[in-house]
Amino acid sequence: MSTDTYSDILKLNKELGQSMSTNNRYEVAVLSNIMTTQLKEILEYYLRREGIYADVVFGDYDNIVQDSCKFKDRNCIIIVWELGNIIDGFYYKANTMEKDELEDVILKTKNEIDFVLANLKSTSLVLINKFSSLIYSYPYIRQNNLDEAARALNSYLEMRISANMILIDVDKVLAKVSIDKSIDLRFYYSSKSLYSIDYYKEYMKFVKPIFMFASGKVKKAMIFDCDNTLWKGIVGEEGLQGISMSARNTEGIVYEEVQYLALELAQKGIIIGLCSKNNPEDVDDVIKNHSDMTLKDQHILIKKVNWDDKITNLKSTARELNIRLDSFVFVDDSEFEANLVKEGLPDITVLQVPKKLFEYPKLIRENIGLFFNISNTVEDKRKIQMYKEQSQREQSKESFNSIEGYLKSLELKVSVYEDKVELIPRMSQMTQKTNQFNLTSRRYTEGDIARFLEESKYRNFTFSVNDKFGDYGVAGLVILELNELNNTAIIDSFLMSCRIIGRNIEYAFFDFLVEKLRFQNINSIEAVYIKSPKNEMAANFYENIGFGIIKTVDNTKYYNLKMENYKSKLIDYVEITDGK
Amino acid sequence: MESRIKNVMASVFEVDSSQINNDTSPDTLESWDSLKHMNLILALEEEFGVEFDNDDITNMINFNLILLILKEKA
Repeated sequence: MSTDTYSDILKLNKELGQSMSTNNRYEVAVLSNIMTTQLKEILEYYLRREGIYADVVFGDYDNIVQDSCKFKDRNCIIIVWELGNIIDGFYYKANTMEKDELEDVILKTKNEIDFVLANLKSTSLVLINKFSSLIYSYPYIRQNNLDEAARALNSYLEMRISANMILIDVDKVLAKVSIDKSIDLRFYYSSKSLYSIDYYKEYMKFVKPIFMFASGKVKKAMIFDCDNTLWKGIVGEEGLQGISMSARNTEGIVYEEVQYLALELAQKGIIIGLCSKNNPEDVDDVIKNHSDMTLKDQHILIKKVNWDDKITNLKSTARELNIRLDSFVFVDDSEFEANLVKEGLPDITVLQVPKKLFEYPKLIRENIGLFFNISNTVEDKRKIQMYKEQSQREQSKESFNSIEGYLKSLELKVSVYEDKVELIPRMSQMTQKTNQFNLTSRRYTEGDIARFLEESKYRNFTFSVNDKFGDYGVAGLVILELNELNNTAIIDSFLMSCRIIGRNIEYAFFDFLVEKLRFQNINSIEAVYIKSPKNEMAANFYENIGFGIIKTVDNTKYYNLKMENYKSKLIDYVEITDGK
Repeated sequence: MESRIKNVMASVFEVDSSQINNDTSPDTLESWDSLKHMNLILALEEEFGVEFDNDDITNMINFNLILLILKEKA
C-alpha cells in the first residue's frame, strides 16, 4: 500500500471520504511557515484507510502564532515550523550573522513558541515537528549557526511543552527518505513549498501510530509462533540442543535480537504470547531449560501450544485475556499459517518472518510503533501481573456452577475517588483506550480532564477494583455535569476497562452513584449511549436500570431517569467504599 | 499515455476523467489553480518517472502541451 502514487492517493482519498460517515470527522489543522499543500490528502488518506475520517485544513502561510488561537478547538494541530524560514531567508543568512544577531532571531522565535504553546495547551493533541538544520547544514563539518539555532529551539520546546503535545523528530523521517529525495527546491523558490511527496508519505507512516492511539486503535499483544520464529530450528525434531537463539550461531543471533525486542515490549506492559503447533512439554522444556532463552516464563503471558488450528487458539487467547482480536500482532515463519490467520482473522496484524532472515529484526522494529502509547503510567508497568491474575480467575471460574457463586467467591472490593489530580493521566488514558464498555467513547487528553476537575459543575469519579486474586488498579470512570437549576445530572462519560467487565461492578457502582446524587438533591439523570463499532456490550445498560429512552437520533440514544424509577440490580457481593 | 495523463489530471482536479479533453486548461477548468498545478506536476513526475524543469512547468498549461512535453521526456 505504501506504493500508492500521489495520483492514486488523491483519487482513493476522495472515494474514502465519500464512503465514510460524516458525523465522526477527525479535524486536523496544519500550521506552518512554509507551504505544505500535499500533506493534506496524504494525511487524510493514511488515516481514512484506518477508519479515521480525517479532514485537514491549513492555517495561513507563515501565520502560526495567530492561527494557533483560531484553530485551537480542532481535534489535532500539526505545527510545521521550518527552521530555514523562521525569518525570511534564515537558512542562507544565518551563517553570516554575528552572535547577538543570531540570539535575537532565536529569542523572537522562543517568544512565538510561548504564544503558540499557551494557545494550544487545551487542544486534544498537538504534534510539533522539531526544528531541523539537517537539510541545510549536512555538508558542514563543524557546527554552524543553523545547528546552534535548532539545538536552542528544540531544547526550549522540550522544556515548555505540556502533556498533550508530542515533538516529532523529523530527522528520522529525513534519514529514512534521504535528504535528496525529501527536498524539492524548484517549488521552494516559486511557492515556498519545500518537501516532496515521498517525504510526506514517510512522515505519515512515522506519525500514524499517534493518531491510532488517539482514536483508541492500539495494539496490546504480540503473539509468536515458536519454531523458526522465536528460535532457529524445530524443537520437536532437532531437540533442545538442536535449536539456536544465541549470538554464537550466525542464524541464532537474529533470534536473540528478536527475543530482546519482545522483552522490551514485555517490559512496557505489552502482552507477549505463544501460539504454536508443538508438544507443550517440548516448548516448556525450551523456556525453562534452554540457557540461551531471553524470554522467560514470567514474560510470556499466555501459551497456546497444542495441535489445534491457530485461528481457534488466537480466538481463545483473546477471550481469556479479554482483549479484542484487532489489538493483536501475530508473528509466524510459515507462509501457510500466516495467510490462514490473515484470511480467517482479518483484524489481526500478521507479520511473516522474512525469507531473508537478517531482515527479521528490522520487520519487528518497524512495527514497534503499533504499540505506541502517549503516557507511561504505573498501570502499564503492572499490566503483565494483572493479565496473569485474569487468567487465574478464568481458570477458577470453571470450578463454580453459577456465575453468581463465582463472583461471590472473588470478594470484590471497589474504591471510589472523586476529583483526584494524581489520576488525571490515568483518566485520560482510560478515555483513549477503552472501547467496549464505554457509553459515549469520548476521548479526552490530560488537558481536557484537568479542565473537568477544575470546573465546579463537573463531578469526576474514578474507581479501582481488587479481589482476592489481586489488584486490577484504576479501571472505571464517570464524568458528570451537574445542572443545579433543575437538579439534574448529565453523564458525559461512563466507562470501565475491559479487565473488570463481567462482574456486575457497573451495577453496584451505579447504586453508589445514585445514592451520592440523591444526597445532593439531584432528582433526575440524563444520559446518552453513542453506538461505536466496539461498544455493543453496553447498548442496553441504561434500559436495564430503569432509564427511559427519550429519542434515538442516528447512532445515539438519549435517556432520562427520574430517581424514583431507578432499578437497582441489588448486587450484594461487591463492597464499595469511598477511597482515600 | 493519453489516458494515463487524463487519469492523473482527473485525480488532481477532482473531476471525472471524461471531463478532461485536449483543450482542457486553467481557463476551462475552475479547479486548475496554481496550487493544483504544483500537485499536477508532482503527480505526473511520479506517474511517468520523469522530472520537469522550470520551463516545462510554466509551459504545461493545457492537455496538449502536457502530452507534448511528456513525449519529449519519454
